[in-house]
Amino acid sequence: MSGAARSARQWRAASAGNGVLFVLIALLIALTLGMAQLEPLFRALFPDLGNPLYARDSFLNLMLAHIGLVLVSSLISVTIGIAAGLFVTRPVGREFEPMVSSLAAIGQTFPPAAVLAIAVPLAGFGFAPTIIALSLYGLLPVIQNTIAGLGTVPQTTLEAARGNGMSRWQILRRVELPLAMRVIIAGIRVSVIINIGTATIGSTVGAKSLGTPLIAGLVGNNLAYVIQGALLVGLLAIVTDLLFERLERRYSFGGQA
Amino acid sequence: MIELQGLTKTYAGKNVVEDVSMTLETGEFGVLIGPSGCGKSTTLKMINRLVPLSSGRIILNGDDVTELPAEQLRRRIGYAIQSTGLFPHWSVARNIATVPQLLKWSKSRIDDRVDELMAMFHLDPAEFRHKYPHQLSGGQAQRVGVARALAADPEVLLMDEPFGAVDPITREALQAEMRRVHGQTGKTIVFVTHDMDEALQLATRIALLNNGRLVQYDRPIEMMVKPADDFVREFFGQADLGLKLLSRRWVHQYQRPPSLTHHATLPGLDHCWRLDEAGRPIVLEGARLDDQHQHTDVRSEWIATPEMSMKEALSRMVWYRVMVLPVVDETGKLVGEVGMQGIMGIESNGGLHAGGPAS
Repeated sequence: MSGAARSARQWRAASAGNGVLFVLIALLIALTLGMAQLEPLFRALFPDLGNPLYARDSFLNLMLAHIGLVLVSSLISVTIGIAAGLFVTRPVGREFEPMVSSLAAIGQTFPPAAVLAIAVPLAGFGFAPTIIALSLYGLLPVIQNTIAGLGTVPQTTLEAARGNGMSRWQILRRVELPLAMRVIIAGIRVSVIINIGTATIGSTVGAKSLGTPLIAGLVGNNLAYVIQGALLVGLLAIVTDLLFERLERRYSFGGQA
Repeated sequence: MIELQGLTKTYAGKNVVEDVSMTLETGEFGVLIGPSGCGKSTTLKMINRLVPLSSGRIILNGDDVTELPAEQLRRRIGYAIQSTGLFPHWSVARNIATVPQLLKWSKSRIDDRVDELMAMFHLDPAEFRHKYPHQLSGGQAQRVGVARALAADPEVLLMDEPFGAVDPITREALQAEMRRVHGQTGKTIVFVTHDMDEALQLATRIALLNNGRLVQYDRPIEMMVKPADDFVREFFGQADLGLKLLSRRWVHQYQRPPSLTHHATLPGLDHCWRLDEAGRPIVLEGARLDDQHQHTDVRSEWIATPEMSMKEALSRMVWYRVMVLPVVDETGKLVGEVGMQGIMGIESNGGLHAGGPAS
C-alpha cells in the first residue's frame, strides 16, 4: 500500500521532471535550427546593429562542434580520472594518493585561458590545444569523486565481500564500483558542465564552438551575437545537467537516496 | 570437523593470539568468548584468513587448508558478521546467492537454494526476494546475512558477533532461531560473542580466551562447575551461577506427570489441574503462594513448553506467583508440569552434572 503510494509519487515526480526536460530539449533543438527565425526580434531589440544575427556559420555546425569538443575532452578526463582514482585506492598505488590529488588540484587552479596559452605553442591552434586544456581542467572532479566514491563503501561491506570469497577484481567490479558509481557520476557531471562552459574559450585559439559567435560579439561589440551564443551554451549546460541528474538517480541505493 | 593447531598472530612484535589449538567436531556449536581485546575475533578471522596467520595450521575435515588460496577457502566457509554487511545494491535473493554465484551454480539451482534458505529463516520469498537491504528490519537483515553465509552449504560457518547490533528482543528471537537452524542443518559453527548469556544459549563448546591465550575449552556446564582457574570462575560470574546453570537446562529435563487429582501428601503443595475436553489446562487448583485453596485461571503467560529454558520457567513462576507451571505440547495439551520443588530436587541430588548440551 505505502509502497504503491510511494512509487506513484515517484512516478509523478519523475514525469514532472520529464516534462521540464522535454521542453528544454525541444527549445534547445528549435533555437539551434531556427535561430534565423528570430532575426526580426533581435533587429527590434538592437536597432543600432547592422547585422543582429550571427551568420558566418550555422548554429547547428557550431553546436555539433561544441558538443564534439566537450565529448572528446570529457572522455579523456573521465578515462584518466577514473583510472587514476582507482590506482590510488588500490594497495599498490595508495602512496601516490596525495601526489595525484594535489596534481589534479593544481590543474584546476590554473585559469583555463592560461592553460590554453601554454597549450598553443605545444599543440598549435584550433582543436588540439582546446582539448588539452579542457581535459586537464575536467580531470579534478573526476579524480576527487572517484576517490571519495570508493571511500564511501562501508568497511563491513568490503569485509563481507572478502569473507564470502570474492577476489579483488570481483570486489571492485561487483561491489565497489556499483556502490561508488553515484558519486563518480556526480564528478563526471561537474566535469562535463565545467567543460561545456569552458569550451567557449577555445574559440580564442581558433577552435570552432558556440564560443565563436560569443567571442566575435565581444570583439565586435555586438551584443546580439553574445546573447545568441550564450543562450545556446546555457541551454546545453542545463539539459546536460538534468540528464546527468537522472543518471545519478539510477545508482542510489537505500539510505543514499 | 575443524582443527586449529597452534594459531598465532603477531602484530608489531606482540602476540595478539598465541598458540590457540582446539578441535570442533562436526555439528558442534563452538563459541569463542572473552573480554575485549582477548583475540577472539582475530582467532575467528584467521580461520578464513581475513587475518593472515603468523603461524599455525588449520585442518578442515582432514584437509590441511592452511596453504589453500584464500578465496577458495572462503567459499567453503560461511561468514556472517555484525550489522550484516549485506550488499546494499543487491536484492535479498541476490545477496543470498553471493557464494553460489561465485561457484557458478546454474540459475535454477541457485533459485531453489535461495527459496529453501528463505523458508528456513521464515522469510516469505514472494515478499522478500526482491526487497533491498534498506527495506528490511534489523532482525530480517541479520537473518538474510546468516542465510547468505549458509547458501553454498559450507563445511563450517563462522559468525563474528552477528547479533551484536540488534535490540535485545530481536536478539533473543535470533538466538532461538539460530539454535533451531543449527539443529536442523547440523552445521559446525564457530561463533564469537562477548555476551555470556548468548554463549550459554547457543554453545555446545565454549572457548574462553584471555590476552590472546585459550584459557579453557570445554562444555558450558563443565566450565561452570569445573572452572580451570579464577579467571574462568570470575568470568562466568559467581553471583548468578545458579541462574546461569538453569539457562542451560530445559523444561523437558525437569518435567513430571501432571497432578490431576488432589492428594494431601505434600502439605502446602497440594494442587490439581482442571482440563477442557481437548486436554488443555484451564484452571489450577491450589499451589499459589498466597492462598493454597485459590482456583487460578491458567494464562498463556505462565504456560511452559518442553523446549523452554528452566531459567525462563523459574522466572514465570516467580512473576506470576505460582509454585507450578503446566507444560503443554504444540496443540496446547497438558503433557506434564514443572514446579519449584522439582528444580531444587534435581539440583540437590547431583543434578549439576546431569544436563548435557541443548539437543
